Amino acid sequence: MAAMEVRLPVARKLVGQDLARGSGRDLVAPGDTITTDTGYMRGHGTYMGEEKLVASVAGAVERVNKLICVKALKTRYNGEVGDIVVGRITEVQQKRWKVETNSRLDSVLLLSSMNLPGGELRRRSAEDELAMRDYLQEGDLISAEVQSVFSDGAVSLHTRSLKYGKLGQGVLVQVSPSLVKRQKTHFHDLPCGASVILGNNGFIWIYPTPEQKDEEAGGFITNLEPVSLGDREVISRLRNCIMALVTQKLMLYDTSILYCYEASLSHQIKDILKPEVMEEIVLETRQRLLELEG
Amino acid sequence: MKETPLSNCEKRFLLRAIEERKRLDGRQSYDYRNVRVSFGTDYGCCVVELGKTRVLGQVSCELVAPKPNRATEGILFFNLELSPMASPAFELGRQSELLVKLNRLLERCLRNSKCIDTESLCVVAGEKVWQIRVDLHLLNHDGNIIDAASIAAIVALCHFRRPDISVQGEEITVYTPEERDPVPLSIHHMPICVSFAFFKQGTYLLVDPSEREERVMDGLLVIAMNKHHEICTIQSSGGIMLLKDQVLRCSKITGVKVAEITELIQKALENDRKVRKEGGKCGFAESIPNQKITAFKMERAPVDANDVEEQAEEIIMKADPPLDVFAKPILWTPGTAQIGEGVENSWGELEESERGEEEDDDNDPDTLEDPKMEMEDVSIVSKTKKDDTIVLSDSEEEEVVILKPEKVPKKTRTPTSSKQENSSKKVSNKKRKKKRVSY
Repeated sequence: MAAMEVRLPVARKLVGQDLARGSGRDLVAPGDTITTDTGYMRGHGTYMGEEKLVASVAGAVERVNKLICVKALKTRYNGEVGDIVVGRITEVQQKRWKVETNSRLDSVLLLSSMNLPGGELRRRSAEDELAMRDYLQEGDLISAEVQSVFSDGAVSLHTRSLKYGKLGQGVLVQVSPSLVKRQKTHFHDLPCGASVILGNNGFIWIYPTPEQKDEEAGGFITNLEPVSLGDREVISRLRNCIMALVTQKLMLYDTSILYCYEASLSHQIKDILKPEVMEEIVLETRQRLLELEG
Repeated sequence: MKETPLSNCEKRFLLRAIEERKRLDGRQSYDYRNVRVSFGTDYGCCVVELGKTRVLGQVSCELVAPKPNRATEGILFFNLELSPMASPAFELGRQSELLVKLNRLLERCLRNSKCIDTESLCVVAGEKVWQIRVDLHLLNHDGNIIDAASIAAIVALCHFRRPDISVQGEEITVYTPEERDPVPLSIHHMPICVSFAFFKQGTYLLVDPSEREERVMDGLLVIAMNKHHEICTIQSSGGIMLLKDQVLRCSKITGVKVAEITELIQKALENDRKVRKEGGKCGFAESIPNQKITAFKMERAPVDANDVEEQAEEIIMKADPPLDVFAKPILWTPGTAQIGEGVENSWGELEESERGEEEDDDNDPDTLEDPKMEMEDVSIVSKTKKDDTIVLSDSEEEEVVILKPEKVPKKTRTPTSSKQENSSKKVSNKKRKKKRVSY
């Protein structure tokens, strides 16, 4: 484009601090005292220092009966059994793959936890081991579920259902894991024309909705047909909306993403990334979500 | 912390761009990034910036006993440190392969080339010699550490002044800087390293790779040369096969680049010397404040604006002509006239917030209105009039339209061109009386 837009830096005013929020939410920084009452049990993100409970991470204090823990805003992913994650293969080793999932240690995907093409169930043989690279290579993206967590915190994944497996064409958005809301299902087909996988580890995968559910593939055959322009625009818009929600620290789930998408339709896709537009559409999204709660 | 792996898309994009002779920052294949040298208040302290890669160099000296097999030579000690400040991939205290490789290369370049006269560092043969220690710290890693480090090392050495000494028999007197001016080191020549990155099995070559380019390169060739075209060190890593004429071509390019960089270094040293002689202020405090974000000062970004006029004309020609303006005012009475008809009163109905309008002014002024779009707007507007829920809030802004979800898919499926969307907003700006659609 010939016309260029020039923006000058200026101190931004904070928007709407008066919005209805969960009242009495305590935010702490590392080193802040949470309580001097010794009757509480300490959970994650806290430590006992000189007769008082001190926070070790920056986040919100959560209290369940006698347990106090601090949920950090920006953190690495801590695996829980049953979580859906989106990860990238970093290494191919003997009988297993190492997957990067934004956690402290690389996650592990064992060959025996991977479903073979066609969905057959059999013992993995030496040929399977040699053919590992045909299934997944370094740099491939996969969706998987957490099977178990090792004692050192490393996570073991499995793709034993046909809805998991290698991911094809789409857009990956990396956010902090604490912004992804825990829900019953993390695979959503949005009515605006794209599908999204909200990984609990903060990796969000946006892809065009597949035409028919092909059960045969089992997640290995990547569809490399060109995606239409309309679908690509929807996916770009969704990605920018998710970035807007992340900047304004709103929880990510299918309803919030959908409302944000609808609020952004009046703007051009590239304008959504401007700070003032972000504030506007997220404000609208917040209001709609508040109404929804009633 | 382990480095985040590069996605396949990024790797492919970088390699394809290199095949088309394009680099991410707009440089040509043989272009260097901007080199900036700034000095501290102490002698021997400097910061070298190669693009965004920054290296801090500090030289210090000490009187020690010489090595037994080299009794009349001074000792040179080089140390490069990769601090976690430079990149999250660097961990404190861990001897990584990269660190060892860089240190060895620097030593070979500066020590084996005999650029510093070590004989002149001898004070009393066999007993006391000067030990010169060069400490380099990497402050920011944006590719090509070795070039920046070698420039920092040689600049710091040239800038350094050691205390003056006199020997009377067995007595050695070390003069402080106040008593006698410190003496510069005797430097024969200035070797500078130049790095070449190879891609696609040696087919494509780039000088001064940035951090992204380093991640996808096949191999690296480093040539250290001085301005007299003498090669001090040459090293090839990565296991690529290079042809003889490729290496010769690289050495010719190195000669040119080293001449430029040496000239720049000489100028910087000269400037600093002048400032110190005149007693002016020197040091980092002078050079660093210019880099504040509120200083409204930026490096010149290379933007290709040669064909702006032609593109602008093209856009104007392709766009539809603007709406006819109603030029005939109807005069009611002297002092009251009416232009145009206007539409019915839209007060009391829902309108979009003020904010939405303000941003529209920032939009591209080149796009023009489309009369067809207006008609569409009006028809859809009439459908959504009374069904929407009205939300009253205390805010000063005007109310927000809330649409039922069923209405939305109709609009989103139609591929909207940017011109049409822009025009709907432009229309709303210029003719406020008409009700706007909040799509």
